[in-house]
Amino acid sequence: MMIREWRFPALMVAAVLASALATGFSGTGVSATGAGTLAAPADFAHIADPKARSAAYFTELGKVLTNPRCTNCHPATDRPRQGDEARLHQPPVFRGLDGFGLDSMRCSSCHRAANFDPARMPGHEAWHLAPPEMAWEGKTVSQICEQIKDPKRNGNRTLADLIEHIGKDTLVGWAWHPGPGRTPVPGTQAEAGALVEAWALSGAACP
Amino acid sequence: MKWSAAGGIVLSLSRFAGAQTPDFLERETLPGRGVPHPAVGRVDGVAKVTGAKLYASDFRAVDLPGWPAQTHHALLLRTPDASHVYEGLALDGLGADAKPVVIVTAEDVAKIGLRVPSFYTGDLFCPVGTTPLYLGQPVALLIFDRFDAYDRARTFLRDNPHLKFGAETGPLARPNYGAFRFTRVAGATPDAPDLYSPIQEGWISPGFVESSGRPVWQVLPDAKGADYVKGATYGTAIRDELAKPAAGTLVLDRSFATQSIDPMFLEPEAGLGFYEPGVKKLDLVLGVQSPFEAAEAIAYMLGEAMPDFKPASIDGKFCYVGGGFGGRDHTPFPLYLALAALFFPGRPVRLAHDRYQQFQGGIKRHAFKMRSQIAVDRASGTIAAFAADHVLDGGGLMNYSVSVAVVAGTGAIGMYSVPKVDVTTVAEHTRGVTAGSMRGYGTVQCLTALETLVDEVCTTLPLDPIEFRRRNALKVGGRTLTGNPYSVSVRAPEILDKLDGHPIWRNRMAEKAKARAGVLVGTGVACAAKDYGTGADCSLGTVEVDAEGRISIHSDAVEMGNGIGTALANRVAGHIGGIADQVTVAQVDVFDALGLVKSGDPYSITQAEQDKAAANPRWVPEISSATSASIGAHVGTQAASEAARVVFRFGLWPAALAIWGIPAADPRVNQWDQAFWQGETLIFSGLPPLALKAIAAKAHQQGGVTGAMTHAFSRWAWSEATFALPGGDWSADIDALAVRRGSGEFQVLDRKAVAFPPTDYNRIGTSFASMCGTTVRVEIERATGKLTIAKAYSVVECGQALVPEIVLGQAQGGFAMGVGQALLEDLPPFEEGPGNGQWNLGRYVVARASDLPLHDLEIEILPPLSPREPPKGMAEVVMIPVIPALLNAIFDATGHRFQSLPVTPQMIKGVIG
Amino acid sequence: MTALSLTINGRAIGPIEVRDDLSMNDFLREVLGMTGTKFGCGAAQCLSCAVIVDEDGASSTRPTCIAPAVDFNGLTIRTVEGHAAGGALTPLQVSFIEHFAFQCGYCTPGFLNEGQVFLERLARDPIPRAELERTITEALDGHLCRCSGYVKYHEAVRAVVLADAGRYLT
Repeated sequence: MMIREWRFPALMVAAVLASALATGFSGTGVSATGAGTLAAPADFAHIADPKARSAAYFTELGKVLTNPRCTNCHPATDRPRQGDEARLHQPPVFRGLDGFGLDSMRCSSCHRAANFDPARMPGHEAWHLAPPEMAWEGKTVSQICEQIKDPKRNGNRTLADLIEHIGKDTLVGWAWHPGPGRTPVPGTQAEAGALVEAWALSGAACP
Repeated sequence: MKWSAAGGIVLSLSRFAGAQTPDFLERETLPGRGVPHPAVGRVDGVAKVTGAKLYASDFRAVDLPGWPAQTHHALLLRTPDASHVYEGLALDGLGADAKPVVIVTAEDVAKIGLRVPSFYTGDLFCPVGTTPLYLGQPVALLIFDRFDAYDRARTFLRDNPHLKFGAETGPLARPNYGAFRFTRVAGATPDAPDLYSPIQEGWISPGFVESSGRPVWQVLPDAKGADYVKGATYGTAIRDELAKPAAGTLVLDRSFATQSIDPMFLEPEAGLGFYEPGVKKLDLVLGVQSPFEAAEAIAYMLGEAMPDFKPASIDGKFCYVGGGFGGRDHTPFPLYLALAALFFPGRPVRLAHDRYQQFQGGIKRHAFKMRSQIAVDRASGTIAAFAADHVLDGGGLMNYSVSVAVVAGTGAIGMYSVPKVDVTTVAEHTRGVTAGSMRGYGTVQCLTALETLVDEVCTTLPLDPIEFRRRNALKVGGRTLTGNPYSVSVRAPEILDKLDGHPIWRNRMAEKAKARAGVLVGTGVACAAKDYGTGADCSLGTVEVDAEGRISIHSDAVEMGNGIGTALANRVAGHIGGIADQVTVAQVDVFDALGLVKSGDPYSITQAEQDKAAANPRWVPEISSATSASIGAHVGTQAASEAARVVFRFGLWPAALAIWGIPAADPRVNQWDQAFWQGETLIFSGLPPLALKAIAAKAHQQGGVTGAMTHAFSRWAWSEATFALPGGDWSADIDALAVRRGSGEFQVLDRKAVAFPPTDYNRIGTSFASMCGTTVRVEIERATGKLTIAKAYSVVECGQALVPEIVLGQAQGGFAMGVGQALLEDLPPFEEGPGNGQWNLGRYVVARASDLPLHDLEIEILPPLSPREPPKGMAEVVMIPVIPALLNAIFDATGHRFQSLPVTPQMIKGVIG
Repeated sequence: MTALSLTINGRAIGPIEVRDDLSMNDFLREVLGMTGTKFGCGAAQCLSCAVIVDEDGASSTRPTCIAPAVDFNGLTIRTVEGHAAGGALTPLQVSFIEHFAFQCGYCTPGFLNEGQVFLERLARDPIPRAELERTITEALDGHLCRCSGYVKYHEAVRAVVLADAGRYLT
C-alpha cells in the first residue's frame, strides 16, 4: 500500500526544469546539486581557476534567478507572469507608473501583507514588479549576470547591496515561501545570499 | 451584541433577514408585485442588481421557512487517479477541528439499495479495491457539522494527498458509448427520391468492433446487421469515389482536432438538501437546466432503497441559474446532494463545489478528432461528395455522448446541400472527466472542421468563398443529411448576401495591403446551420390574470441568463396586453391540475404504443424537458403563449364584447383574431379602445376564463389537440389544458381529439435549424504571434425575436465564447487535465473584454420572414461560425491552416517565423 | 480568532470572533448571510466577489475570496445589497437594467461595484471623452462574464458617464 504523490508537484517540477532549459541555465554547465537545493560556496572549492569558480557561484545562483518565482515579476513586458507555468498574469494587470499596478487595479487589491493559503493567494506588503530595466524573463544566466552587475540595470545597487537584497530582502525571501500550489525556489534565502557574497568577493565573474 | 462566528449563524442572520423570511417561491417570483422597476429591462433585472437571493448557491437553511436554522456542509471527494487500484481514504492528516461527522462511501451506498439511473450508469462512488472509472469520480462524501470544520478540511484536502492507491492497472477499458453511420445518396434530380437515406432506412450502427473497441466500419457479412450492410455498401461506394476522383474533381482529405473545454458558468454547482425522517420528505434547493429530470433521477435512485433512505416525497425547489451553457443539463450533482441530505437526516446539508471541484467534476465539452474528405466538381464549384469520421472523447460516464455524436454526425454538412454523404461517428469511453451537453453540442466541432475545409477548397479551386457557399447552400425544401427537409425557414442566401456586402469582407484586400509594418492582416468568413430542439421538447405554462388586470406566469423553463422569464412576459403580452409582474420559472410542481402521465421513452416508443397510450387524455409522450438545445424561445414559451391565447379567447374577449355591448348574433363576436393590443389597451376597428384592467374586471365578474394551464410537446412538430370550451371548440398546438373561471380553481379538460407527431419522426436528425454567418478581420503581430480581432460582424436569423436585446446579448456572448474556444480555452485530457483537481481560472483562460472587439463587433438580426414566423432557437448557432471565421482569417494573414484548437500566439509565431 | 468590526453598507457590524483563516467571502456569505457578494473562483480571477472599500476619501474594489475577513477589520465597505439606498436604484443599476447588461446575473455584483468605483474615480478625476472607452475597458477588465460578451456592460457604464458628462469628463 502506498499513498500516491499528487500529480501536480511532479508537473511543477517538470515546468521548472523546462523553464530552466528555456533560459539556457543548464547549458552553462556546472550544477552542483539537484533542482530543489542550492550548493554552498565551499562546494565549488575544487574549481581552481578563480574566475571560473566565481562564475560557477553565479551559475548556481542562476537556479534561483531564472526560477518562475523570480522571473514572473521581473517580466520582459509590463505584464507579470504567474504560476509555475509562468503563464501571463490573470486577471490582466500592468506595472503602472510606480510598478504597483494601474489605478484601476493595484497589486495590493489582491496581494495583501501575507500569503492567504486557503485561497493559494501570495502576498507581501510591498508586492510589486521589478522595474523594466531589471527584466529577467527569457534571459540566460549569463545575461542576467551582466545585467545584475550594471548599476543602470540593477536599481543602482553595489555588489554589497546585492548581497543584502538577495540574501535579506523580505519580498525576495517570499520566493522561498510561496504557499501551496507554487514550487519554492531552491535552497534557502541564506544559501542564496552566501552564493551572492562568494561571487561578489571572488570578482563577480559571469558564466 | 457580541456574535460568535462558529455558532452564531442564526443570530447574525436574524439581524439581516427581514422581519419575516419570505417563502422560497416568493423570492423566485419576479419582478414581484408592487416592486418598482425601470420600464424596460429583464423581469429579473432589479433582483439581479440588488443582490437578492435567487441562485441555489445563495440559500442556506435559515432562508427556508420551517427549516432548522443551522446549515451543515458536505464535501465530495474525487479521485485524481484512474489507473491504479483505489485502496481507501487516508484522512489522518485532518486536524481535530476539521473532522467530518459522517463519511459516505461506496460501501455505505451499497448497503441501502440505491439504483443508479441509466443515464448515469457507473458507480456513484469508486469501491475500494477497484480502479476508478474516470478522473474525478467521487470516492466519498464527507459531512461536517460546522462550516469551519468543512472549510479547513476543504483546503487541507485540496493541498494534501488523502487517497490510497495500490497496483497500477492502467485505465479501465469500457465499450464505446455508441457508434453510428449516416449515409445519404440523393436521387438523380433534386425532386427525385433519395436512393438511400437515414430517414428512409433508419439509423444504422456497425455490427463489429476491433479488439481495441473501435467499430469496424467496413462492410462485413452480418446476418443480424443487414441494415448496416446495406447502408455501409452505399457509404463505401462514396469512399471509393473520394479515393479515386473523376477527372475535373478536386478532393481534399484533412484531419482536425478540437479540444475539451469547460462551460465555465460563473456559479459553481451548489445545492441545499434537508431530509425530514418523520414525514419522510426530501427537500432540495437546486439550480439545474433540467429540473424535472433531476427530480426523476433522484426518485429513481431512491425508489427501492431501504426504508430509512426512501423518502415519501421530494420537494425540489429550483432556482435561477448562474449560467448553464448545457453544463447543468443532466448533471449527476443532484444525486450527491440528495445522498448528503439522506445520510444526515433531520439536518439541512449544503453541497457546493468550489472552482477546483467544478473543474474536476463538472460536465465538459467533447474533444473531437475528425477526418473530413470533400469532393468538388471544379467546373461547377459544387460539392459532389463528402465523408467524415468523428471520434469523440466521452470521458468517464456516458451522459449525452451518444446524442452529441449523433448531432455532430447529422450536422456535419452544415448549411450545404450535398448529394452523397457518408459520416461515421463513435463516442468513446475514456478515463477523462465526463463530457456532455455544452453550447454548440457537436456542431461547434464538426463545423469548425467543415468551414475551414470549405475555405481551403475555395483557395484551391480558386473560387470566392461567398460564391462557393451560394452555389452549395441548402435551398428551401432541400434535404438535410438525414434526408428530410427543414420544416422552418431556410435563409442561407440572405445570410450570404449580408456577408458579401459587409465592409469587413468587401475591404479585405485593401486592408491587407495597408497593414502596418510588423503586422499581418487577414479576413475570414464562415457560416453555420445549427439545429435547435431535441425531438422530444416539452413546455408547461400557466397564465392568470386577476381582476385588476395583473398577470402571473408560471413556466417549467429554466432562467439561466437566457432571458426566458422576459421572453415569456413579452410573448404573453402579445396575446393579453400586459407585461406580467409575477413570473416564476423552473417550476415543475405547479402543474398538478393537468394530472399528466407518461409511459416509455419518447424517442424509442413505437407508433402502436403511442396510439394506445394517447387514448388516455392525461397521457403525453414526455412531461417536462431540459432548458437546452436553444429551445427557450420556440418551445419554452409555447405553453404560456397558448395559455394566454385561451385566456384571451375565452375570458378577455367575451368580457370585451360584454363591455362593448355586442350581441351574440353580431358577426364581430367571432372576429376575436382581428383585435390587437397597443400596450395594455385592446383595439378593435370601429369600437372604443378598452383598458386591460377593465376587461379583466369584467372577465372575473362574469366568470370567464381568467387562467389557463397548458402542456405542449414537440417531436419536430407540435402535438395538436381539440378541447371543448363554452363558446366553441378550441384546437391548438398543445396536448393538455386546464382552465380557471373567475377566481375558481383550475379544472382540467379532456381533449376531444389529439394528434401526436408520428414516432418515425425520431429518425429525423433535426428539422429545425437557424443560420448564422460571421466575418472577422484579425491583426497579427509578427514578432510575437499576438492576435487582435480588429473588426467582426455576425448576421443571424431567428424568426421572431421575442426580446431583441436578449438575442443581441446572446450573439455578443456567443462571439466571446467562440473566441475563447478558438484562441484561449484548453483542457488537456487525463492526468494533466481538470480531473486532477488542480485546475482553476487563471490556468484556464476565458475571453475577457480586452480580448474582444467590444466597439467593433456588429451583430445583425434578420427580421422575421413574416410577422407570424415563430421564434427560432439562436443561442448556439451564434457561437459556431466565429471559430472557423477566425481560423480562416488566420490563414489569410499567415498562409497557414491550423488543424487543431486553440490556436495560440506561440503556434502562430511558430508558423510566421 | 480575532474580533472583527467593520461597517457594511453604512451599518456597524461586530465585534464578531472569526477564525484568522476565514475568507472575507465566507464571512459575508456564511456568517452574515449576505449572499449578494458572489463566489466564483476563489482565486481572484473572476472578481464576482469584489466589494467596494471606502478608504481615505476614495473608493476601490477588493476581491473577498482571496483575503481573510480580519483583513477588513475597521474598514468601511459597500456590497451589491447597499447600492439602492432606501429602495431607489442608482443610475448605474438602472443603466445595467435598461441596457440588458447581464444575462445570468452572477457576475453583476462585481461589475456593479467596479462600475460604481469607476464613476466615483471619474467624478474626482475627470478624463477626456476620447479616453472613455479605453478607460472603461481597463477598469472592468478584471471581471469575467461568461454570458454577455461584455458589450452591454460597457455600454451601460458609458451611458451613465455620457448622461452626466460635465461631472465625469473634462
